[in-house]
Amino acid sequence: MQHSAVTQRITVPVRDGPVVAWRSPGREPPVVCVHGAGVSSREFRPFLGALGRCGHDAWAVDLPGFGASGRPSGPPVLRALADTVAEWLAAVPLERVVLLGGSFGCQVAVDAAVRHPDRIAGLVLVGPTVDPAARGCGRQLLRWLRNSPHERLSMAPLNLADYRDAGTRRVIGAFRESLRDRIEDKLPHVHRPALVVRGARDRMVPQEWAEEATRLLPRGRLAVVPDSGHMVPYRRPRELAETVAAFLAREIAPAADRAHGPEGRRG
Amino acid sequence: MKAARAVASFDSATGMLRALARFLSGRDVPALGRAPAALDAPVSGLLGAANRLPPAVRDRAYALSGWASAIPPRQAGRVRADALASWVTGHYPRRRPQTLLVPVRRHGVAPDDPRGDLAAVRTAGRELLAANPDLVLHHMHDPNQDRLMIAEMTYFRLKWSRLPAAYRAFIRDHLAPGGRLVAVDCALRWPTTTVGDRYLFQFGALGDASPEEYHRGGPRVADLLSRYGSPARRWDPPAPDGESPEAEWGLQPALLDDLTAFAGRHGLGLDVLGFPTPQALSPAVADLYRAWYEERQLPADRLLVESFLLLDPWQALRTGSVPYWAVFGTESCRAGLAAYLDSTAPYDEIRALLFNHGTESIGLAGAEDWRRTAARARKLGVLTGVDAAAYPRDFAGLVRTHRELRKVRTRCPMPQPLDVAGVPDVLTSRQDVVWRPAT
Repeated sequence: MQHSAVTQRITVPVRDGPVVAWRSPGREPPVVCVHGAGVSSREFRPFLGALGRCGHDAWAVDLPGFGASGRPSGPPVLRALADTVAEWLAAVPLERVVLLGGSFGCQVAVDAAVRHPDRIAGLVLVGPTVDPAARGCGRQLLRWLRNSPHERLSMAPLNLADYRDAGTRRVIGAFRESLRDRIEDKLPHVHRPALVVRGARDRMVPQEWAEEATRLLPRGRLAVVPDSGHMVPYRRPRELAETVAAFLAREIAPAADRAHGPEGRRG
Repeated sequence: MKAARAVASFDSATGMLRALARFLSGRDVPALGRAPAALDAPVSGLLGAANRLPPAVRDRAYALSGWASAIPPRQAGRVRADALASWVTGHYPRRRPQTLLVPVRRHGVAPDDPRGDLAAVRTAGRELLAANPDLVLHHMHDPNQDRLMIAEMTYFRLKWSRLPAAYRAFIRDHLAPGGRLVAVDCALRWPTTTVGDRYLFQFGALGDASPEEYHRGGPRVADLLSRYGSPARRWDPPAPDGESPEAEWGLQPALLDDLTAFAGRHGLGLDVLGFPTPQALSPAVADLYRAWYEERQLPADRLLVESFLLLDPWQALRTGSVPYWAVFGTESCRAGLAAYLDSTAPYDEIRALLFNHGTESIGLAGAEDWRRTAARARKLGVLTGVDAAAYPRDFAGLVRTHRELRKVRTRCPMPQPLDVAGVPDVLTSRQDVVWRPAT
C-alpha cells in the first residue's frame, strides 16, 4: 500500500490489476465514492475535501479501466465492476461502509449492495441513472445536452482527461452498460438505509424519477440540493457533504452499537 | 355587466368553484384557465424569466395585473346578483359559494390609507347595493396581505342574504325529493365599521396578523410598513362599531335562515357543517381521505399540502394523496400543518405546494420553513412547483406547480364517489368541527 500526504493515494491489488483510491481520513463510517460512466474520482475531489472537513472518513475509488486504476482487457461489465468494489473493500480492508454513487456509480453501488451486502451499511445515490422513462441512447444524449448548462465549466477539462485516460471504447462501453442495467428492479432489494440526492436542476434525473427511486427503496429518503445540475458532488460539494453528514448521523449507527447486533437496535 | 367579468379569478371562492367544477367533469385544474396544456412549458419559461426582474418591478406587475382584472367603479351599479348566481350555477358544481369577490378599480389611494379607500368607492358601493337588494357588501381592505393588489383596486366582497333564484332553481333541478343539503358554516368574525344599510367596511383579514395589530399597530406592523417604504408606522382605519362574519370566509346568518325555510318548504334535509376558522376543517378532511383510502385497501401514506388557490381535488385522488389544505403560506398555517402531522400516523411522502401572493406579509413563513415541515415525511418531503429563491414573488409558480403535479406517478384508480353516510362521524372526530341538522 502506498500513501501520500493530506489526501492519501492508496493502491490495492485486486483481481487482475491495481485499484487506486483517494482518502481523506476521519471518523467512521467510511464513505466510499463511486464515479459515473467514463469519468473517474477526479470529479469527486472537491466533495472528498468537503466531507473530510466534516470529519468523516472519505474515500473515492477509480473503477478498473478508469482514472488511475489498472486497465483490464475487455469492455466494462457492471456486474464485474460491482464485484471488484466488494473485493476491494475486503482487500483494504473496509467494513460497514457507506457507498456513495454518482450517476452510473449509483448503479454499481446498488448492484454491490444487493449482491454483497456484508460490508455495506448504507447507500447514498447522487443522481441515480437511468430513468426507465428515458432508457435510450438518443433520449439520454438529449437530456445530457439539456443538463450541460447547469454544470460548472471547469468540470469539462476533467471530463476530457478522464475520457482520454479510459479510451473511447471503454467510455462508450460504460454508457451502454448503464443503459442495459435495470436499477429499478434492484432497488426494492436494498435493505440498508439509502439516501437519494438530486440536484434541483438535474435534467438527467427528473424529480419524478428521483421520487420513484426513493419509493422503491425500502428504507429510502430523498434530498434535493438547490441550484445544482446532475453532478452535485462537483457543483455543490459543501451542501452535499452537509446532507450526507446529516444522513450518517441519523441513519447509520456508530460502530459502538454493533456490539448489540442488528436485532438489539430494533424498536 | 357579465358576471364572469365582474368576479375576481384570483379569489378563494372562484378558485374552489373552478377546482370543484373541473373535478366533477373528471379533469384537473389547469394553471392557465382555458389555454391549452401545451402552452404550459413555454409560458412557464417566460414567467420564470420574469422572476429575474427586480422586486420593485415585480411588485408593480402584480399591482397592474390586479387593476386589469378589476371593474371600473362607475360599472359597480351594473353588477346584478342574479347574473352572478347564474354564472356560479353555470359551473354545475354541487357546492356553491356564499361569497363572491368583485374587484373595483380605484386610483390614487395608497394601500395604507383605508379611510381614503372607503371614501373613493363609497358611491360605487351604494349604487351596487341599490341595484341588488339581496346582497350584503363587505368592503375589505387589507394592506398587509393584499398590499399589491389593492394598489389599483378595491375589494368588494358580496354575500347573499337570501338564496338567489338561480341557486333555488339549481337545487330543485338537481336534488331528488328527500335529498340533503349541507350548509358550510365558517364562524369566523372580524371587527367591522357600518357604512350604511347592508354596507360594511372590514379593515384587515384572516392571516397571521390579529385584528388588534391591524387596528392598533405593533412592532410587526411597523416593520412591514418600513419594509415597504411607507411613511406611517401604524394604520388609521375607521373605528369598528361591531363584529360581522369575516368578509371572505364567514357565513351570513340571514342566508342560513332563508336556506332553512327553503329546505322546509321543499321537503329537503338540511345539515350544517360548522367550524371556527377555515383552517380547522383541513385536518378533518385529511382524516376523511385517509380513512377512505384505508377502506379501499390502498396505501394512505402520501400527503398533498395544498395552498390557498393551489388546490386540485382531481390530482389529489389521481396521485393517491391525502389532501391537507393550508389557507395561506403564513407561519400559523405552517404550524397548523405541523400540529396535524403530530396528531396522525407518519406519512412516507409529503408534497407541499406554495401559493405566491406577491407580498412579504406579516408572519409569512419562508419556503425553507415549509420545506423543513414537509421533510418530516419518512421517505420524501418536497416542495412541488416552488422556486424557493423567488417565493413569494414567483410568477411561474402557478404554471410550474400544475406541470410538476401532473408528473407525479399514478398508483391507484380513481374511486367511486364517497357515500355521505359515514362522513359526519369522521369529520366530527376532530375537535372544533360540528355536523348538525339545521334547526
